[in-house]
Amino acid sequence: MARMKFLCDAERCIECNGCVTACKNEHEVPWGVNRRRVVTINDGEPGERSMSVACMHCSDAPCAAVCPVDCFYTTEDGVVLHDKDICIGCGYCFYACPFGAPQFPTAGAYGSRGAMDKCTFCGGGPEPDGSAEEFKKYGRNRLSEGRLPLCAEMCSTKALLAGDGDKVSDIFRERVTYRGIGTLAWGWGVAYGKGGVRQSSGLGGKASSTKE
Amino acid sequence: MGKKSPEAAGRRRRMMYRALALMLAAVLLLPLVPYAVAYVGGITNPNPGADLWRQVRQRETPPEVRTQVRGVDTGVLINARGESWRQFRMEQLIPWSGWFLGGMLVAIALFYLLRGRIRIDKGRSGILVQRFTVNQRLAHWFMAVVFTILGLTGLVLLYGRFVLIPLLGPEGFSVTAAACKEIHNLFGPIFPLAVLLILFYFVRGNGFRGVDFKWLAKGGGLLGGHASAGHFNMGQKLWFWGTLLFGLSLVVSGLILDFPVFGQGRPVMEWAHFSHGIAAVLFIGGAFAHSYIGTLGMEGALEAMTHGTVDANWAKEHHDLWYAQMEAEGKVGAVPGQEAPASSGSPETAGG
Repeated sequence: MARMKFLCDAERCIECNGCVTACKNEHEVPWGVNRRRVVTINDGEPGERSMSVACMHCSDAPCAAVCPVDCFYTTEDGVVLHDKDICIGCGYCFYACPFGAPQFPTAGAYGSRGAMDKCTFCGGGPEPDGSAEEFKKYGRNRLSEGRLPLCAEMCSTKALLAGDGDKVSDIFRERVTYRGIGTLAWGWGVAYGKGGVRQSSGLGGKASSTKE
Repeated sequence: MGKKSPEAAGRRRRMMYRALALMLAAVLLLPLVPYAVAYVGGITNPNPGADLWRQVRQRETPPEVRTQVRGVDTGVLINARGESWRQFRMEQLIPWSGWFLGGMLVAIALFYLLRGRIRIDKGRSGILVQRFTVNQRLAHWFMAVVFTILGLTGLVLLYGRFVLIPLLGPEGFSVTAAACKEIHNLFGPIFPLAVLLILFYFVRGNGFRGVDFKWLAKGGGLLGGHASAGHFNMGQKLWFWGTLLFGLSLVVSGLILDFPVFGQGRPVMEWAHFSHGIAAVLFIGGAFAHSYIGTLGMEGALEAMTHGTVDANWAKEHHDLWYAQMEAEGKVGAVPGQEAPASSGSPETAGG
């Protein structure tokens, strides 16, 4: 079985927020909830890098470990999902999560939290695949339709990769070897041109023969 | 060359040893040269990848970050504290507090088996002494009710996953836990009032005196012997100040946790949960002991909080200094609204 993974290539992300918009639109996420966000480090300075963050579907998920009602489950694809009918909106998953993935729509007295909402890897929830209730609670179930998450599909620079961990890491490894010197790479020609930084830097060796 | 002299052979051997020693030293020391240079401060080898990753992990100083998503902590890429909070909750708070509270119950049960109910040695005299006013009793029971509601709902949320899900099933426990969360959050803001009432009505007589430390040294007479005490003994005084201390900690952390609408971030929430959990568990453990000694554990104690009066013999045995003072002030037997029965009065009419 595939082990689903997200990977954001910080060399390629251009902070267009296309993934955020695609996610919000595809799943009709409520106001105040963003399952995905783009964070930019050193904005406007040399070395600026952007990264798209959402639930990373951990193997040993901290959210599932601390949940007082045990509402999380991991699918056989390695996607971490939760049951909104079980969730009591306590917020503990948000404290434990390294990525700030769990989101809480405001519902109830004192602005208390409603059931948690987070990225499902476009994998829906415990309801029957593609059902109206599933869409209402968790958004579209693209995995059951044989499709991968829309955020990665919509990514204009293919910075955000989603899919089987082996395939994603193969693609990323190929990029790294092609770029040659990692994060020192800079500019359009390096990212997309032939030969890339190896040629321009006069480095020997063979770049990956397969073109992206 | 001709014959080798023994001197020449010896010189060659010595030279060979020296050369070997030199080579060994070189092999051992040469790899240290870069460290030495780096230690002196010669080499700077920037690694942009490592620098970026260090910034992403945000272990020390948070970098300049920007995001279009508005909300709590959206600018934090990796919340490094989350994992330590998870370990605190799952590997320390839940198991350790379970052992502590279970241990308290076992210790109380053992104490009951060994010591039994602490009787009034001389029996009831039938003479009553006013111990607590109506307002003091109302404040006490108000605190007791709010505390019990908050304590029970809190314990359900802390241990329910391990204790109640096997009994109720995930759906059944979800309903229970959701109700407990709502009750806990709604009664929580009333708790500060209960703490204030306790402070207001019980602060008099709860200052520490010299006799309290003698009481403490005698173990409060729990294991036999007599320990003198005023209106409140050392155990009660510690319980009063403990109530204020744990109460203050629970109120501050609880209000932070209860209203997640003021933009408090995860570090604040994790610290609030940390102190809330520890204070609550210690408070509940103390409440076990307090409830036991106030009801089952000691004859003639509960009526002080129900009727407001105690038997004169009970007062002499447990709060002798206070009884002497009441006697001097002529307040023994003078219970408002109640006729002081004759000394031969039946014990049942005197107590609760």
